[in-house]
Amino acid sequence: MKMVSEAQRQHAEAMLEGAAPVIELLGVSRVYPSRSGVVHALNDASFTIGASEWVAITGPSGSGKSTLVNLLGCLDTPTAGTLRIDGTEVHTMGGGDLDRFRADKVGFIFQQFHLIPYLSALENVMLAQYFHSMTNESDARAALDRVGLSHRAEHLPSELSGGEQQRVCIARALINDPPILLADEPTGNLDAANQRIVAEILAELHANGHTIVMVTHDPEMAALAQRKIALSHGKVFCHPVSNVVKLSQ
Amino acid sequence: MFLRMLGESFVRQRRRKLLAGLAILLGTTAVTAMLALATTIGDRIHRELAVYGANITVYPKADTLDVKIGGQTLRPTTGGVYLHASDLEKLHGIFWANNITGLSPELDSSISLGKLDSVPPSPVPAAGFWFQHNFGDAKVKLITGATQLHPWWKLQGSAPQGSGQIVLGATLAKSLKVGIGDRLMVLGVSDVADPVTVTGILTTGDATEAKAIFELSTLQQYADLPDAVSRVDVSARTKPEDAFARKDPDTLSPKQRDLWYCRPYANSIAYQIREAIPGAAAEQVRQVEQSEGTILERISGLMWLVSAAAMLAAAVAVSAAMATAVLERRTEIGLMRSLGASKVRIASLFYSEAGLLALLGGIVGYGIGSLLAALLTARIFGEQSGITLRVAMAHAFNPALLPVVLGIALLVAIAGSTASIRSALRMDPSAVLRNNA
Ligand SMILES: Nc1ncnc2c1ncn2[C@@H]1O[C@H](COP(=O)(O)OP(=O)(O)OP(=O)(O)O)[C@@H](O)[C@H]1O
Ligand SMILES: [Mg+2]
Repeated sequence: MKMVSEAQRQHAEAMLEGAAPVIELLGVSRVYPSRSGVVHALNDASFTIGASEWVAITGPSGSGKSTLVNLLGCLDTPTAGTLRIDGTEVHTMGGGDLDRFRADKVGFIFQQFHLIPYLSALENVMLAQYFHSMTNESDARAALDRVGLSHRAEHLPSELSGGEQQRVCIARALINDPPILLADEPTGNLDAANQRIVAEILAELHANGHTIVMVTHDPEMAALAQRKIALSHGKVFCHPVSNVVKLSQ
Repeated sequence: MFLRMLGESFVRQRRRKLLAGLAILLGTTAVTAMLALATTIGDRIHRELAVYGANITVYPKADTLDVKIGGQTLRPTTGGVYLHASDLEKLHGIFWANNITGLSPELDSSISLGKLDSVPPSPVPAAGFWFQHNFGDAKVKLITGATQLHPWWKLQGSAPQGSGQIVLGATLAKSLKVGIGDRLMVLGVSDVADPVTVTGILTTGDATEAKAIFELSTLQQYADLPDAVSRVDVSARTKPEDAFARKDPDTLSPKQRDLWYCRPYANSIAYQIREAIPGAAAEQVRQVEQSEGTILERISGLMWLVSAAAMLAAAVAVSAAMATAVLERRTEIGLMRSLGASKVRIASLFYSEAGLLALLGGIVGYGIGSLLAALLTARIFGEQSGITLRVAMAHAFNPALLPVVLGIALLVAIAGSTASIRSALRMDPSAVLRNNA
């Protein structure tokens, strides 16, 4: 019998309660100081993302997509507004609590993978366990198996193809079973074949109940998501209502 | 996982770390050499010196017409005034009794000596010594005697044990044309003739070579001078002489005098010996000790300066190496932050790396520094004082210094890397992980 994951539990709860929002933004802004005044990387954004939703964030370069993802992942804090993730007001939290929260709640998938070059694929996955709680090699192997990389566990990142590296990155992101996966252009550095593999993995994770927020330039990838949030010059200007309830029925 | 991370990341950025490690190594080398010279070697060499010869000589007070040449006292054999051998036991009661490591009383006299068949025997100078004498008491064990206090003596054969045995100085043996195992006739002052066997030939390089040598009590009998001793050589562990040591205790204030009395200066011990033995004068024998003290003083100031400069340079080198290392690895740090790693954990990783570097550099630096100290000691004190490179080496490695040196190395590494580690943790992880980073 398979263990019920945290994400699956949330998914089930969301269906019962009618998609309680896992991410809520209320007038969230992120302002960077610059030589000529300030840059509004994100300007007064307000929207919600329901549990188990798959959302694509689109927009031209410099529109604030990465800024948004970093805010959602608590790597960055808003300069104004209310940001609630999984029921917690993270914009009021301090550094140490944010670290803990990040380890528990989110998994990052990066465009350039950010694997530690001197650790094997397996160890890169275990690193996330290490910073979360305790390392467990068989769990880490299982995660690699899930992305179809069990035969590459002992390889260094430099010995892996781009697609394989991205799958290691995904395995690392989901090893601690976080409810939210944040992917900033996960297929930006991949060819079509690898993009398809990653897309399939994301679809499977979504089916398992993970909430996925994915930045992408690629219309094909965006089409996989249930909902698109479009950004332009830091402004959220198009977000069709959540259709998560509809879909999950 | 932590160890794996540490191990793997430690062997990365090798050139930079090599430089930082080298800087730490040089710094600790200087510090070790300095500390070893300032503390250990000085100390231990003094102990060694004590073994290598007497540093205090005791003689009868009335007998003040001594002529000292090169640490050897030349005097007429007919002094007429003697110390009492039995009084030597009182040395057990002096304040620094435990610092006395050797004792060699000597009785100078003369006897008549001849071959068994040749008549008559002719007078020759004679000396009586302790050989392997038990001078211990209930608390300490001390087997001592002339050969310990005169380590440069070369005794062929064996020492005389009681009456019936004699050792001849090399020149005397030559002039008598006798060797080990030969039998001679001794004629004492009371005209008692005694046959004796030559058990050894002694080479000393001084006037003793012309003497007939007996066990002290044997000569006391022949010379009819019971309990008499002409002089006593004492070797004691002492503190190197400094300005305070040269003070006359009788001119000091009571408090200062107590202080002087309770320091193991050769002068203080000599003073205590004078107090203990009636009719005795005691003086410090100035061998290498004095010059040695001032040399140590002179170089230690310089060494402190060099060490401080070396450690400062090491800290600068470490901080430069860490700054670039951290800069190169800032995405790695950002990634760890994104995985929920706290600042403390990341800092501990980098500090451990710096610490490991410090330990490695420190251990090697300790080794090299100790050798350097040994080399310097041998150079400074020179062979004539008996401190060969081998002796110095044997004393150079002081395990008590290792933790001190490693502690300093750690401190320097931590101080040197703190700035860059702090700046690394201040970096905005979202900025370093940004797509175009
Ligand atoms: N640390 C920073 N300091 C100053 N300005 C910043 C900083 N980070 C981002 N910006 C600015 O904020 C705006 C949004 O940046 P962001 O990286 O979120 O864009 P993006 O939509 O992810 O772009 P891309 O598609 O190229 O990745 C940009 O104008 C950028 O110059
Ligand atoms: Mg971006």
